[in-house]
Amino acid sequence: MNDVTDTTAISSLPPAPAVHVNDSACIELRRLHRFFGDTKAVSDVSFSVPRGHVFGYIGPNGAGKTTSMRILATLDLPSYGDAFVDGFSVVNDPEFVRQRLGFMPDSFGTYRDVNCREYLDFFARAYGLVGRERLERLRWVLGFTGTENMADKPIRGLSKGMKQRLCLGRALIHDPAVMILDEPAAGLDPRARIELRRMIRELADRGKTVLISSHILTELAEMCDSVGIIEQGRLLATGSVDDIQHQQAQTRELVIRILNDADAAARDICKRLSLDATIVDGELLRFEFAGDVNDQAALVGWLVGQGYSVAEVTSHKKSLEDVFLHVTEGLVQ
Amino acid sequence: MSETIDTLNSPKAIIGEPSKRRLAQWTDRVDALCLQLGDLMNPILVKETRQALKSRQFVITFSVLLIAALAWTVIGSLSMMPQIYTSPSAPRMLVGYYVVLAIPMLLVVPLAAYRSLEGEIDDGTLELLSITTMLPWQIVLGKLASASLQMVLYLVALFPCVAYAYTLRGVDLPTTMIIIGVLVASALLLTVVALFFAPLSRTRTGRIGTLLAVMLILINAEWGVGAMVISMILYGNPLPIDWVMFLTAAVVLVGLALGHLLLTATAAQLTPESENRSTPLRISLLILSSVMVGLSAYACTELGETGLAVHGVFAMSLATIWLLCGALMSAESTVMTPRIRRELPQSFAARLALTWLTPGPGTGLVFASVCILLLCGASVVGLYYSITMYAPGRGIGTAVWRQFVQLHVLYASYAIAMLCLVRAVVAIVRMKNQPPVQVGIAAFLAIAVVVALVPYSVGLHYNDYRPYAYSWWQLPNWAWTFQQSLDRSLLRGEEYVIAFAAGCMLMGALMLSPSLVMPRRTATPRRVKEERLAESRVGTAPPDPDAVT
Repeated sequence: MNDVTDTTAISSLPPAPAVHVNDSACIELRRLHRFFGDTKAVSDVSFSVPRGHVFGYIGPNGAGKTTSMRILATLDLPSYGDAFVDGFSVVNDPEFVRQRLGFMPDSFGTYRDVNCREYLDFFARAYGLVGRERLERLRWVLGFTGTENMADKPIRGLSKGMKQRLCLGRALIHDPAVMILDEPAAGLDPRARIELRRMIRELADRGKTVLISSHILTELAEMCDSVGIIEQGRLLATGSVDDIQHQQAQTRELVIRILNDADAAARDICKRLSLDATIVDGELLRFEFAGDVNDQAALVGWLVGQGYSVAEVTSHKKSLEDVFLHVTEGLVQ
Repeated sequence: MSETIDTLNSPKAIIGEPSKRRLAQWTDRVDALCLQLGDLMNPILVKETRQALKSRQFVITFSVLLIAALAWTVIGSLSMMPQIYTSPSAPRMLVGYYVVLAIPMLLVVPLAAYRSLEGEIDDGTLELLSITTMLPWQIVLGKLASASLQMVLYLVALFPCVAYAYTLRGVDLPTTMIIIGVLVASALLLTVVALFFAPLSRTRTGRIGTLLAVMLILINAEWGVGAMVISMILYGNPLPIDWVMFLTAAVVLVGLALGHLLLTATAAQLTPESENRSTPLRISLLILSSVMVGLSAYACTELGETGLAVHGVFAMSLATIWLLCGALMSAESTVMTPRIRRELPQSFAARLALTWLTPGPGTGLVFASVCILLLCGASVVGLYYSITMYAPGRGIGTAVWRQFVQLHVLYASYAIAMLCLVRAVVAIVRMKNQPPVQVGIAAFLAIAVVVALVPYSVGLHYNDYRPYAYSWWQLPNWAWTFQQSLDRSLLRGEEYVIAFAAGCMLMGALMLSPSLVMPRRTATPRRVKEERLAESRVGTAPPDPDAVT
């Protein structure tokens, strides 16, 4: 009759973390684990999000984003560890967490034979909003999400973008302090993405803490104050987009065009820079270079001094996608 | 919804003309009142009513109901012409109306409720609902209320036809009321049963199984209730008034208690794992048992010797219920979340009285064992009074009495022993896996088969596969021992050996896991206490006794 989550796989771990202590964080994950049999969907994930921040949760499909978010939304229990929303444990005080949380899952979750206004009204009632407060909230949400014109239309006939707006409205209906959005931009056209970005920034400006997931780093780069990259259930990197880019972009790709004997130049470069190998593509040499622009100039001077005819030097800084590809390994569970 | 909002901001409110302004104020007041009434209603009821009024299923069912009732009114009346003017014709008309009404009430509405809750799970809306501030009980009650509303609409639609049938004479008003009462009570109970089955399985195969089970129950109920009602309409009520009163009370009370248990079980299936789902079920089970014991006691003392038959039915039902529920309770998870721990009873008296209601396999085993012993004791006492009152010649000291006592001792002993074994088996399984609580029933059935078959097979082997007599070696074989007892050929004292063994097993189970039997309470986090205090200040929650000051 009473059944709790799997604990057999975590017997080797130390005792569960104590109660929440980080008062500045609105969302906090502490040594979160979630096992499904032998699969470690989430493995030792810890991070915190300050109040009013937008945190991007990035990872390939099957990385553990949705599982972590479901635990935060009190829809699943961790195998070990805990998560806190506004200081309340999602395991032990889910009712307090739910009052503060708006969750938008990756599926729509709509009803048949119900129009947009009725749908939002129902959830407003379910959150205990009554009388004028409910009506005012309903009006605000319809306005904020731009669904006023659709209010009396059946949900079944809405486009994907409009359904996303409606679901965002549902998550906002009780004015939560924390929003958890699971891949809200998936499948949206560019205009709808821009609109969504604007709405999320506006929510953050209103003091709401937003945790948003995506499998595309560039999609979140502009709207997030900080991001976390997760793969195979493990958190690989956290921090602001610039920080991560800086951390991961210590090396750059250098392309040098040598007109005479590129193969010999490649061997000399490997020896000088202690590289395992360089890519030789006709007259072009490609290799990872860790130095700054002065080191780059010195290298070119040295090549010329060795008698090589250097015709062209190009340096590529790593893009966000390169960073993402560098951090992750493309592994799925 | 849109009208409500528009009316609140309606230009009617600022119309200058006094009479129109008064009208607008009056309509605004009515609107505000309706808004307040709507706020009091269950959100699920509001949503489902809106959905139902637009749904094709409701429109088709309602239209077919009206057309069928109209058709039967015309065809039935014409077929009884011209005797309809002179002889009582209500029974035949009422049978037709019953059939028209029973199909939506006993089939369509429970199935719609089943499908509605199942749809919430399939479409992912149940998850969205479960993270709102609505409680699982509210969700279940909302579904039930919505189904009840549909029933009321069907009943109201057919009420003129029933009134028409009544004017044709042949069925009195009490019988008509009883028929409607039976139909409504059956429909409600069937809806509760259908709701109970809806979240039972989340897999596709399981879904097909539960749907088939629900269909089977509904069709059987349609047939059973139909046979009872139609025979009552055609042949009248053959029972004396005291039996009618008793059966009415029994059906209502047992229906309510069983409905409560099933609704609690449904709500428990929708409740997150971290919360205590066991205690409400145990309390509900106690209520059902108390109701059945009370009714059984009344039947034994007030309904003469035939009341013993009622006692037998209730005793068998309770015996089955407690075996199944005991197996479930003994298979509960040993892991108790801090959330549950901090809600455990604190004072010594509360711990002494209420610890058995806290979740866990240890307390579950003790709770089931104690209740089985108490129920067996109550049954023996009831039988004692019945026998001394109605059959003095067959009183205490006779073989019949000894057999009664023997059967009760055997049942209690075997039940407790098997529950201890279920507890042990599930504890072993839980060392490597985390099976659902239903594994308890599977373990119980397996144990029941094994303990009966193994001694019998061993005996058969040692007797060269020839028939052999019952001996002490067959004591674990509950089936043969019960058979011996029913044949009155069980040796004196064997039941007490089994009882002693069961007692030892229970003590052993308790001593091996004292922490599960008396779990310790943990402190409530400071943040939660502060929140509760803040909520109690604004009147949204009762003050917490441990609140910080």
